[in-house]
Amino acid sequence: MATNDDESADPIPALVSGARFPDVELPDHTGRMRSLSEIAAGNPLALFTARGWWCPKEQRYMRGLVELQDEFEVAYAQMVVITIDAPEVQSAFRAGLGARFTFLSDAERRWIDLLGLLESTDTTHRPYRPAGFTLRPDLTIHESYNGYWFWGRATAEDLRRDMRAISRDLRDDWEPA
Amino acid sequence: MGGSPARELFWDGVRLSLDPAEGGRPLCIDGRCLDAETVPGCFAHVCALSEDAARIPFDQPEVQEARRAALAWWIPLLGDTLVCLSTFSLDGVHCAGAVTVARHPHHFDQDPFARLFAGTTVRTDLFGVVAAPAGPLIERIAGAPWPGGRFPASA
Repeated sequence: MATNDDESADPIPALVSGARFPDVELPDHTGRMRSLSEIAAGNPLALFTARGWWCPKEQRYMRGLVELQDEFEVAYAQMVVITIDAPEVQSAFRAGLGARFTFLSDAERRWIDLLGLLESTDTTHRPYRPAGFTLRPDLTIHESYNGYWFWGRATAEDLRRDMRAISRDLRDDWEPA
Repeated sequence: MGGSPARELFWDGVRLSLDPAEGGRPLCIDGRCLDAETVPGCFAHVCALSEDAARIPFDQPEVQEARRAALAWWIPLLGDTLVCLSTFSLDGVHCAGAVTVARHPHHFDQDPFARLFAGTTVRTDLFGVVAAPAGPLIERIAGAPWPGGRFPASA
């Protein structure tokens, strides 16, 4: 678990396929501290960074994730979204969406620069640049998606394909004996 | 995530016990709830009956919906008062309800698991703090009581 408080910590490598995503620890939408590895709990994890509740593109994209959560809930896979919204704002946004996945709050922007995911063109909010990462349980990046432009985001089919690939590799009994 | 996948406790409709000699119906819960350092003076909302016939398959829609409700709003509603929660399993198929443990019983009248079996509030020193489950995953793992269990680490 990484807290980014250790100045001697190794620099975070580029967030590309094969690299290890840092085990980010942040408060969730209820204010409880959560690490990515805790959320994954041995399962594949789809991680998204998002601007925040106010962005129409995020509102549309999150509604798509809410549709997809019905598959994740039975498929032994997890989802998590990181934004700079405060936990209580995330909790309200999550409730309005009908989401059952976890939101992590980087309201203090502890990780945004370290991860290289600051959307520098929005100097008002200084939010996360929309991005998506499909991760193995040990947080190795299977695929990354740059969602600065909406069409760059991971589609439901992208996510299904990635979850299938990770699960096939992960589950020893994927193929019948 | 350490601890036993499942542990047994006993419920006679009034008291929870870890001692089979005290009688009561045996129920399996997420072992982490009993393995963690205990929080004294908590309140447990036991949504289970003492009769062995009070059971329902885990895969029934109402059990799935109770788990969805736990992730969607029950855990957020409890906030910092939540100590732990677990469904009760009887075997690889059947659910006997659930227990939610909190530092205060204020919201127990809204417990979504009480839609399965009526809830009873008891004071208890048996349970410890376990991180609330993260959604959206609601499926059980190898028959363990949700949210416990974990697949073995693989390649």
